[in-house]
Amino acid sequence: MAKPKVALYWAAACGGCDVAVLDTNEKILDIANIADIVFWPIALDFKYHHVEAMEDKSIDLCLFNGAIRSSEQEKIAKLLRNKSKVMVAFGACACFGGIPALGNLTNRAEIFQRVYIEAPSNANADGTVPQTSTKVTEGELELPEFFDTVSTLAQVVDVEYFVPGCPPPVDIILKVVNAFATDQLPPVGSVIASDKTLCDECDRVKEQKKITKLYRPHEIIPDPKKCLLEQGVICCGPATRGGCGLRCIKANMPCRGCFGPPPKVADQGAALVSVIASIYQGNTEEEIARMVEEVVDPAGTFYRFALADSMLKRKRMPPTEGRL
Amino acid sequence: MKKVTIDPITRLEGHGKIEIFLNDEGDVANAYLQIPELRGFEKFCEGRPVEEMPRIVPRICGV
Repeated sequence: MAKPKVALYWAAACGGCDVAVLDTNEKILDIANIADIVFWPIALDFKYHHVEAMEDKSIDLCLFNGAIRSSEQEKIAKLLRNKSKVMVAFGACACFGGIPALGNLTNRAEIFQRVYIEAPSNANADGTVPQTSTKVTEGELELPEFFDTVSTLAQVVDVEYFVPGCPPPVDIILKVVNAFATDQLPPVGSVIASDKTLCDECDRVKEQKKITKLYRPHEIIPDPKKCLLEQGVICCGPATRGGCGLRCIKANMPCRGCFGPPPKVADQGAALVSVIASIYQGNTEEEIARMVEEVVDPAGTFYRFALADSMLKRKRMPPTEGRL
Repeated sequence: MKKVTIDPITRLEGHGKIEIFLNDEGDVANAYLQIPELRGFEKFCEGRPVEEMPRIVPRICGV
């Protein structure tokens, strides 16, 4: 019997999800034993035209990492969706927008201005910025359109499963591979991680959630045994899905929410605002104003990994004029 | 003019595309390397607290 076919792709991503697959170490050989990898740009030399030539639904499993930032990424997402029986949003960017979706606090015009015009390392006297189409002596060159707004994979195509994390930890990757290999995939729509919050899984001592001041890291050395939130350090654990193995907490760093919202929470950032508001002890207008000021970067803290997936989706601002 | 497109460039970190133009003799007239990828860290890191940078910019490249 022919082996099942697996594809892996990266859109607006950093390659960390691909490396996480390789972090399975010798188990990667088991994956290669049970499946044929038919597309994986970081590791194998298949081109887009190879995928285009495949029959629809001939790929059994597609692990798609990265957010949708450009028309090329949208096109490949749709292509792989058509060719794949099972589409997995793999990692925080594909699931929720991830770090690239912090770009939704700005837009294409501002990003191009900063990157191509203002950045001190530029030598761009003509002020050239990328164009979707450029005439050269020999013909025409094309680049994908850079969208104003970053989207999640599920906002562009249908997705069967969600594997969160930045990147997904090896134990969860192996769980997905085993479930696929033994035909025991969970119900469509499942998030393959814990159903508890990170707080539920955290073994730090929790006493009383009442705080009067928020601390930035240079203002405090947190007790590694006590709840970070109770020590006044913003930790996204109460509004974040568990299953990560407490990687940041064990390094005495607060959670930043890369596993996205827990079950039944639609908007991770709103849930975090609610948490902070409910434990912050302030009685006067002045105290409350001071506390609000102490949250240095609300959007970037509460929506660090899930802005594209949130109800806000982006900062309200006029769209960039013109196609590019 | 005939055009050969290599898309995507593989087995490296990041996205790339190569366009090669051939003249009538079939020789390379010109070749272009294009990077069809940008996320905009230069812009969206502005406004984020400095202490958060060590947990944002590693996502420029996770390889």
